[in-house]
Amino acid sequence: MSDVFESYTDLDDLKEQLASPDPGERRVAIIELGDLGDPAAVPLLAALLDDHSAEVRLQVARALENYDGFAAAEALAKALVDPDAEVAAAAAWSAAELKDPASAEPLFPLVTHADAFVRAAALRALKELRRRDSLSLALPALQDAEPEVRVQAVGVIGFLKLEESVPALRAATGDANADVRRAAVSALAFSHTAPAGETIRSALKDSDWAVREIAADTLGKSASGAQASADLIALLADEFWQVRLKATRSLGKLKVVAAATPIAAGLKHEQANLRKESAFALGEIADVNSIPALEAVLDDSDPEVRKNARWALTQIAQAASRPAE
Amino acid sequence: MTSPSFDTIVDGLSEVDCDVLVIGGGTAGPMAALKAKQKNPKAKVILLEKANVKRSGAISMGMDGLNNAVIPGYATPEQYTKEITIANDGIVDQKAVLKYARNCYGIIEELDSFGIRFQKNENGDFDVKKVHHIGTYVLPMPNGETVKKALYRQLRRAQMLISNRYMATRLLTGASGRIAGAIAVNTRTAEFLVIKAKAVILCMGAAGRLGLPTSGYMFGTYENAANSGDGYAMAYHAGAKLANLECFQINPLIKDYNGPACAYVAGPFGAYTANNEGKRFIECDYWSGQMMLEFFNELQSGKGPVFLKLNHLHSDTVGEIETILHTVERPTRGLFHEGRKTDYRKDMVEMHISEIGFCSGHSASGVYVDDFARTTIPGLYAAGDMASVPHNYMLGAFTNGAVAGEDAAEFALNHDFEAFDAADVKLEQARVLAPTKREDGIPPNQIEFKTRRLVNDYFQPPKVTRKFELGQARLAEVREDMENTMVVKNAHELMRSLEATSILDCAEMAAHASLYRTESRWGLYHLRTDYPEKDNENWFCHTLLSKQDGRMTSEKKAVEDYVVPVADEEKDLYAKQRIRASA
Amino acid sequence: MPFAQSPSAVPVIVDDAKCIAEKGCRVCIDVCPLDVLRLSDLTGKAYMAYDECWYCMPCEADCPTGAVKVNIPYLLK
Repeated sequence: MSDVFESYTDLDDLKEQLASPDPGERRVAIIELGDLGDPAAVPLLAALLDDHSAEVRLQVARALENYDGFAAAEALAKALVDPDAEVAAAAAWSAAELKDPASAEPLFPLVTHADAFVRAAALRALKELRRRDSLSLALPALQDAEPEVRVQAVGVIGFLKLEESVPALRAATGDANADVRRAAVSALAFSHTAPAGETIRSALKDSDWAVREIAADTLGKSASGAQASADLIALLADEFWQVRLKATRSLGKLKVVAAATPIAAGLKHEQANLRKESAFALGEIADVNSIPALEAVLDDSDPEVRKNARWALTQIAQAASRPAE
Repeated sequence: MTSPSFDTIVDGLSEVDCDVLVIGGGTAGPMAALKAKQKNPKAKVILLEKANVKRSGAISMGMDGLNNAVIPGYATPEQYTKEITIANDGIVDQKAVLKYARNCYGIIEELDSFGIRFQKNENGDFDVKKVHHIGTYVLPMPNGETVKKALYRQLRRAQMLISNRYMATRLLTGASGRIAGAIAVNTRTAEFLVIKAKAVILCMGAAGRLGLPTSGYMFGTYENAANSGDGYAMAYHAGAKLANLECFQINPLIKDYNGPACAYVAGPFGAYTANNEGKRFIECDYWSGQMMLEFFNELQSGKGPVFLKLNHLHSDTVGEIETILHTVERPTRGLFHEGRKTDYRKDMVEMHISEIGFCSGHSASGVYVDDFARTTIPGLYAAGDMASVPHNYMLGAFTNGAVAGEDAAEFALNHDFEAFDAADVKLEQARVLAPTKREDGIPPNQIEFKTRRLVNDYFQPPKVTRKFELGQARLAEVREDMENTMVVKNAHELMRSLEATSILDCAEMAAHASLYRTESRWGLYHLRTDYPEKDNENWFCHTLLSKQDGRMTSEKKAVEDYVVPVADEEKDLYAKQRIRASA
Repeated sequence: MPFAQSPSAVPVIVDDAKCIAEKGCRVCIDVCPLDVLRLSDLTGKAYMAYDECWYCMPCEADCPTGAVKVNIPYLLK
């Protein structure tokens, strides 16, 4: 009779295979150790990070994705600095699976490692662990020479949502790299303070369209959005329709009446997506002056535009029938 | 474990028992097993799987996003329940939907703690995308390929009893009608396993191998091709009731590849489904039979074919979408487009509508369950794509799997093993092994191909009564061949022969249920050309199909009173929005 | 009735030089949802024994040595 259930192998059974002179056999044993689910497997895996075969070490780095906690993180920290790039890459992937805050300590020293790949991977893993004491390591990393490290540092700081980190995030919105600026703008969303709002507002004028887009999007969700309405309206003339779309959406959410006329211009744009969002935003703003422009697109070739225009007209009618406060 | 004599048929039978038996290790199953164990750590829980839980089920390669995430601050459970009610033309028992909507956020958080990677913003909050103003909510999973690994890890940590490569073939019930266990057969050796259980949870996925893909490749299905409707067939033969089987699953897919284009993933980025003029044409706000009807009509019109359009987006945005679509859920999409030299930046992707199937995950056809995932057989539960809670998708499978696991653990605490007739096991062994005893006959692949080809020819909507009757007659002939002449040479083929019987059972149920409901409802899913109107007076009800005295029978069941009222004008809002442009 | 053999080109290709099945690895055979991969008696390597492929990829993604390649089945390519 075949085995009915998956086995929970005794570790001792695998030890012999782990010591096999054949690297292929060692790999097979490591795969089983990875599947085991028993934390007692971690020291055995860690020991094989000294194996002379890079393929064996690669297998260990992959198997470690199934384990969490200090010992697993310690092993991953070692694998992250492996001379073989593939081993290090696998370790970076596995480290991103860590969830236990106790996994943070072994990663801390790697934030200042000589290799930028290692620094970025350590920060990426620390992000999910949300340890307050990682802030003092992430802040200096904002000055790192490598943009990817700075992006990950912003993530660590942003996940912590601490008001004290607002000045550093504001500074990061002036970074030379657009990805870093984009991340920093998005990370500031948690703060409802005036300086954070001001910074997101100035990002509306960023030279990179993706930064302008995220800034426009973020303002729609932020308490300081209302003060930014003039800048958001200016963005309705942006050369990228994607940016105009987010500005339209945010102005709708914020119900900025002054935006109704420039938003109505978007109803004539060739991109159906922008026409649709323009109609929707006009419904949120619910200004009677938008009626003619909305009626003009009731026959639009795009069903989403028609639907949103009809919805918007209903909203305006309802708002008009409500007594003024 | 792996002998060189792979697939050789071996004579054998063993018996095990447990408190809770979970059949199916895809999405709902692992969650049900984990929750049963959590609820009662002393309970013996077995997870049985036809393939291997590591990579089995609809989400074998993960999922690229949640499209029905009810997350506080973005949607309310009541709003979601209303929308699902409207999308299903009102035929919904709302309690189960509302329960899902209330529980699902907790499940998302739990999945997050398992290491399943949802998209987060730079503040570490879930990055929910609103698709449209009355629709549902999308939470992308750019690294969603890790879902099954994360689940497996949890099962191993819980030391779950996992039984791979055992295909359940029939349920065992006692004299009182209560569940007693299940019979399974090893897919590589044909050895039998009898599992006595106090409670059984069916999580066996969709009937995804029902219609035949237009490519003619039998395994080129939308659903994981292993999901051959075994759960539907088993529940039927055990006497459980199945709801609204006439509400077929039909999906808009990438033509030939027959996999999802995932417009809902690309949608928040600005992509959409377009006609040959590059214009949107779908009026309907909900993923529903109505939407599929609009899709069907456009394909039939001069404005077809239909495409997924991304070529108006910025190259960086397309890159982001590609990364998701080509690594998660159906990663061979990238390879397929490469082979056809289709570049999302330049070309639209041709789409079509799929062959039919049963899947509550996308529509509403499934084994009837209440809001505790209980079927009509005491002690038998169902969750995921095969249970009747509509529009479940992946998150519904997890959430309702959890509900089933907890309630089944409770049931097992309060009940002892139900006795069953040993003769039932003997009979089932004889039935399963019959094709192995023949020297000569028709192989299962031909039985299956013919069944599925007939499903396409006669049952693909629009539904025509006369065609259904002809289809039933042809299928009866196939059944006779299957029962008397089907022949298999090894254990692997034996599995295929058992799947062929499930497929034929499902085909017959699809026909029977469709003929019973003499009206049209759910858009294309149940469009009957000879009963083209919706008839609320006679058919505002569920239909339940079951086996009574050995015969397939259908009956009506009233829709439960709504717990979230839907005003008439809200129902109309949906219809009103569909007014065509006058131009 | 006698059976005919009808050939079909299989979508999953295993590179024997990279495959370590003879050392006990069963990853691709284990993970296949359709159970179509087998060990070759001749080479001790994995190969696709049944043309019943959902082109889903776990065999390729999980192979520790990168030996497995999934192609789109010819009929729908």
